[in-house]
Amino acid sequence: MAHYIHFRDPNSSEIEKQLEGIPKSPGTCFFIDVINSTDIKYKTDLKYWGKRLNNTFNFISFLNDLPDNVVKGIGDELMLYIPDEDLFSKTSYNNYLGLIEEIHATIDNIVNYPIEGTFLKCKVSIHYCTDVYNITFFEHANDYYGMDIDLTARLMSKAKANRIVMSEKFFTKVKNDMIDNNIVIENTSLSNISSVYMEDFKGVPWPTEYRYIDVKEM
Amino acid sequence: MNISVTKVEETNVVGIEGRLDTTNYNELESSLKELTDKNEKRILLDLSKMDYISSSGLRILLMYLKKMKAMDGRFMLSGMSKEIREIFEISGFVNIFEIFEDQEAAIKS
Repeated sequence: MAHYIHFRDPNSSEIEKQLEGIPKSPGTCFFIDVINSTDIKYKTDLKYWGKRLNNTFNFISFLNDLPDNVVKGIGDELMLYIPDEDLFSKTSYNNYLGLIEEIHATIDNIVNYPIEGTFLKCKVSIHYCTDVYNITFFEHANDYYGMDIDLTARLMSKAKANRIVMSEKFFTKVKNDMIDNNIVIENTSLSNISSVYMEDFKGVPWPTEYRYIDVKEM
Repeated sequence: MNISVTKVEETNVVGIEGRLDTTNYNELESSLKELTDKNEKRILLDLSKMDYISSSGLRILLMYLKKMKAMDGRFMLSGMSKEIREIFEISGFVNIFEIFEDQEAAIKS
């Protein structure tokens, strides 16, 4: 659970004491955004929109094999954070390759579901985070803060419907898993991954390398 | 995960034991491909010993449902536990698959 940061006096130096010694919590952050949800809500009726949003979130929930990892949902966007220690403690698909395969399969199932109009389209951004703290300013809440969380959110600007955008840092982790398990990229969902791009994102002091996969309709 | 393939009358029964996820879905895919390559028209997945199915597992099922429909064949499921059935209900898969209580009912159908 997150370290709860709280102090009453706004000029207090307590925050320094409270933050001291809190370890970083490396892991994988991903955002899943439902496309045009607000537009659909106002152009159709609440029932039409609600049913499809519910269906879509239900499908995304299968990623939640680790039940505590949805950190927050804001309307039609979800943030999930999987600390390395949680990922490695799983008994199955306990590496980054497994994680991206499951995320890809989730989007693929939504894209290729045979009954049209059951789900809403999604886009995803993923980043491997090292500069992250598991802290919260609200009692009993769970949250993560740090430059890498902000970067994951910025990566979403490069995503569109049915697209998964990932930082090169995360892709490197996936590649290492492929090498360790003698798996070639052609036999994975990353077989059609783009070449690497570079972008200066607002608020991030260095250029970020990223790639993307477009999930195709079968 | 263990996979067994047996033929009962005209139906190819594929038994799945354990977890079906990203670490092993390709084993199931190979077994199913072998059957569709032989133009087999009736495939039944016996899920009575399956503990868990992830998105990767669901994807293979969806893929082969489409493939079998295109071949004018039947792709059936049987023997789901309560937990697996819940996943199929939430995902809407109960509406698109032919699901039977047990192997016998599927084979007779």
